[in-house]
Amino acid sequence: MRLTSLPPSFARWGRAAFALCGLALLSGCDLNFWRMDGHQTTMVTAGPVAKSQLDVFYVTVWVTFIIFIIVGAVLAYATFKFKAKTEADEHAAPPEQSHGNPLIELSLIGVSILALVFIAVPTLKAIWFTYDVPEEHRENAYEITAVGYQWWFKFEYPNEQIDGAGTLVTGNELVIPAGRPVRINLRTVDVIHSFWVPKLAGKVDMIPNRGNHLWLQADEPGYFWGQCAEYCGDSHAVMRFRVIALSEEDFAEWLVAQKAPARTVAAAAKTAGELPQVQFASFRRNQYGFTSKWDANAAVAPLENWRQQQFPAKDEDAALIAEGRRLFVEKTCAGCHVVRGHEGMGITGPDLTHIGSRTTIAAGLLENNHEQMARWLKHPEVVKPGNLMYTTGYVPNNVQLNDAEVNALVAYLESLK
Amino acid sequence: MDASVKTHFTGSEAPAPTRAAVFWRPTAKTGFVSWLTTVDHKKIGFLYGVFALFFFLVGGFEALLIRIQLAVPNNDFLTAQRYNELFTMHGTTMIFLAVMPLSAAFFNYIMPLQIGARDVAFPRLNAFSLWTFVAGAIVINLGWFMPDGAPDGGWFGYAPLTSKQFSPDHSIDTWVMGLQLLGVASIAASLNFIVTIINLRAPGMTMMRLPVFTWMTLVTAFLIVLSFPAITIALVELMMDRLFGTSFFEVSNGGMPILWQHLFWIFGHPEVYILILPAMGIISEILPTFSRKPLFGYPIVVFSGATIGFLGFAVWSHHMFTTGMGTVATAAFALATMAIAVPTGVKIFNWIGTLWGGHLMMRTPMMFALGFVWMFMMGGFSGIMHSAAPADAQQQDSYFVVAHFHYVLIGGSIFALLAGIHYWFPLMFGRKVSEFWGKLSFWVIFAGFNITFFPMHFLGLNGMPRRTFTYDENLGWNAPNFIATVGAMILGLGIFVYFAVMVYTYFRGEKVKRDYWDGRTLEWSLPSPPPEYNFAVTPTVHARDAWWYEKEHKEEIAKEKAEHAKEDAAHGGIHMPFQSIYPFVTSVGILIGAIGVCAVDYGHKLPVALAGGAIMLIGIYLWAMEGNEGYHIQPNEEDLKS
Repeated sequence: MRLTSLPPSFARWGRAAFALCGLALLSGCDLNFWRMDGHQTTMVTAGPVAKSQLDVFYVTVWVTFIIFIIVGAVLAYATFKFKAKTEADEHAAPPEQSHGNPLIELSLIGVSILALVFIAVPTLKAIWFTYDVPEEHRENAYEITAVGYQWWFKFEYPNEQIDGAGTLVTGNELVIPAGRPVRINLRTVDVIHSFWVPKLAGKVDMIPNRGNHLWLQADEPGYFWGQCAEYCGDSHAVMRFRVIALSEEDFAEWLVAQKAPARTVAAAAKTAGELPQVQFASFRRNQYGFTSKWDANAAVAPLENWRQQQFPAKDEDAALIAEGRRLFVEKTCAGCHVVRGHEGMGITGPDLTHIGSRTTIAAGLLENNHEQMARWLKHPEVVKPGNLMYTTGYVPNNVQLNDAEVNALVAYLESLK
Repeated sequence: MDASVKTHFTGSEAPAPTRAAVFWRPTAKTGFVSWLTTVDHKKIGFLYGVFALFFFLVGGFEALLIRIQLAVPNNDFLTAQRYNELFTMHGTTMIFLAVMPLSAAFFNYIMPLQIGARDVAFPRLNAFSLWTFVAGAIVINLGWFMPDGAPDGGWFGYAPLTSKQFSPDHSIDTWVMGLQLLGVASIAASLNFIVTIINLRAPGMTMMRLPVFTWMTLVTAFLIVLSFPAITIALVELMMDRLFGTSFFEVSNGGMPILWQHLFWIFGHPEVYILILPAMGIISEILPTFSRKPLFGYPIVVFSGATIGFLGFAVWSHHMFTTGMGTVATAAFALATMAIAVPTGVKIFNWIGTLWGGHLMMRTPMMFALGFVWMFMMGGFSGIMHSAAPADAQQQDSYFVVAHFHYVLIGGSIFALLAGIHYWFPLMFGRKVSEFWGKLSFWVIFAGFNITFFPMHFLGLNGMPRRTFTYDENLGWNAPNFIATVGAMILGLGIFVYFAVMVYTYFRGEKVKRDYWDGRTLEWSLPSPPPEYNFAVTPTVHARDAWWYEKEHKEEIAKEKAEHAKEDAAHGGIHMPFQSIYPFVTSVGILIGAIGVCAVDYGHKLPVALAGGAIMLIGIYLWAMEGNEGYHIQPNEEDLKS
């Protein structure tokens, strides 16, 4: 009698199931399972810090893979070789009662330590390399301060002074110069957050009462996905951001535009021409019936889309925008948000001086367009559970927005290019 | 048990109370009261197991809800808040209410049998540990039945998210108080086990003859005793911040949130070994039994277990590689973490050495044990990947970490505990589990587990952060998430089959004789199920695999036993401790007090807390005053033979 005591039919099903699993795995290749080249992947890097971290990872993968093959082969061999084939085998006289072999054991310990040295050396090198900008590039490093809020990021440019208005501040979309090390000071105003742009660098936490920093560099201009990586409360999952790396000239141009006070639309602005649209931010399925599709074949790359976002829309309605600007004060928005040059004074919410030029809103969550902005303003608690704009703004101030008001506010905010 | 004990010579009849009637000494051996008042380590172990398995199913149900939410992108099956509660409670439940007490169940039931003892050193303290654990479990889960909801600060409860400012409701208080009670229960139980192993070993059971499971019990107990004070301090500080306005973690007054992380992880990392060392002990029992040869390199397995215990206190900051510790600290903890891979690897080598040249009996416990070795090895390798701090900067708090620790906690701890249940089931209940259903459940669990957690490695490397209630569909995470959810359903089905079979076997399973697996350690010398007094005659140990030796030297042992039996009879039989209700009363007082502190609104807090405290003090007082007396019984004639 076979020891498994499994009926033969069971074994047959088992084989069939195994074959099915194999098929599923094969089809998994079509499902983009193994490619791991998503927007937020750690396996396709765009800068020296992430590259160094990936290199160390590959070292650990190879060392452990080789050990796994050897140890696994021995384990599998021992299991099949010494298996009792029949019940009679089981009751046969027991094997030799051996107690071990110190020589084998000690040599295996030696080999294990040796294998770890292979991992330890590149690890130590990378720890020092990734910790701070290398000495020879320190002069050239660009400094930025990132501040975590529940649930969005504020980015300050300490070296970019604006006359009479302190330093340049933006929110949720960090624009950096490409090909140049960027040193980011990490701060938080409330709980612990973590700054993570996988393609550029591993994460470093933003901890209260602690001055952390990280450095990264985007080798080429590009558009990168980032996300908070430390659990920080209700909407942690939707605390996202973007990093846009620009060439030196583009970056300088962007700085000039950002330092300017908020734009006021007096009359119909110049048209920017027909622009191809691309959706790349997130949409959340909910009772309001929004759906989304990431169109991977869209002709427009994310960075190109970002550039287009810098231009005003072709059909701006000056009257509507003025009405929106009035509502911005009346509905108490100005209490929490800055619109430099206009009425907004508050600092607890993101700076909105140039909100219209960003590609995303609600901390990297929604595409910045009329429809999504309207949705965000109307139902912030649905888009982002527990968010402070709703709990400390809308609720205590009893803010109610009808469709017309939302429309005007959106027109105003979208005009702030 | 105790040296100072005053004994009663009452024969096998139920004993009469000796003091004033207020000291009620319950004598019921069956029924509800017997379970509340029992001091028998086997009954207590069984109760630990029942509660642990209940919470294991609760935690598993929470996991399935989490997986349903993540099956498709932008899902709205759960709200963000409910999702956060679920992952917090899933982690807390599985660690503190499932794996730890299930290990404690085996410590209680098996360890005294393995060292030839008749009970643990402090039987009533043992009952107190059990009931305080139940009290803690109730307190932690109170939130589900309160308007404030369950705790949602994560199982790690990082300050300042758990401070009054950011979590004003009672849910975090229940989490804090629940963990405190579990700490009390764990420390009391561990001291009990340490004293038992050091003092109550049968004659001849030297430390280097202890079964490896007992060794790992000892190491784990020391880890608990040394690591739980750290989290106790952290929780007291958090509680003071929340209730009395102190500033340990209050940033605006100069508090340091990073302090919480250090205190938490200096507990939290040894905790990882508290979860895995008992599992390694179980595996080190099963592999020799089913290979029918001794453990390969016993001294080095024991030594590596102890080394893991020591090193476990030196690696806590590898949970904090992303907190900006600086280069030197990061390097030191990275190297220490790599070092811990050596004793762990040693265990794997020795397990393979145990198989080598054996006669492997491929029964269900052996299947789970081999599954453990494979899965634990994979979890260990991803652990080595984390030890490389720069790589960890990308993996930390991503699904790669989720994959890693589920490989060591399910593929490791849970597989070993499931193996242990199968292995000792014939001893505990005298019935055997059907091999067909046992193996079927193993393969379903094994497949479901790998389908669930293997894709998570890819998810993590592809940048998916953990503890997120939703994700975008344009990031390439859809397929692995859906596969993981399907796998989780399969895993759930496997667990269901496993437990259905266990329940069926408990009532209807085929009865078996003693020593069903041809075991090697002393517990197999006992009838199934073991009698109340365990050993009719205290055994004398002559070799490491004591029972295997006895089986090979029957005549010599029989002579020895007859002599010991005569001595015992001269004393009037076997001494047994009285049952007691006061450990239960004390735990009830603690439960009421804890509820008063954490779950009652201001204004009523003090009366409820004080009432609980009063009940606790009364319980302790009566417990102390009733005395530690016992009675004698004569062993069953049948048991004397063997």
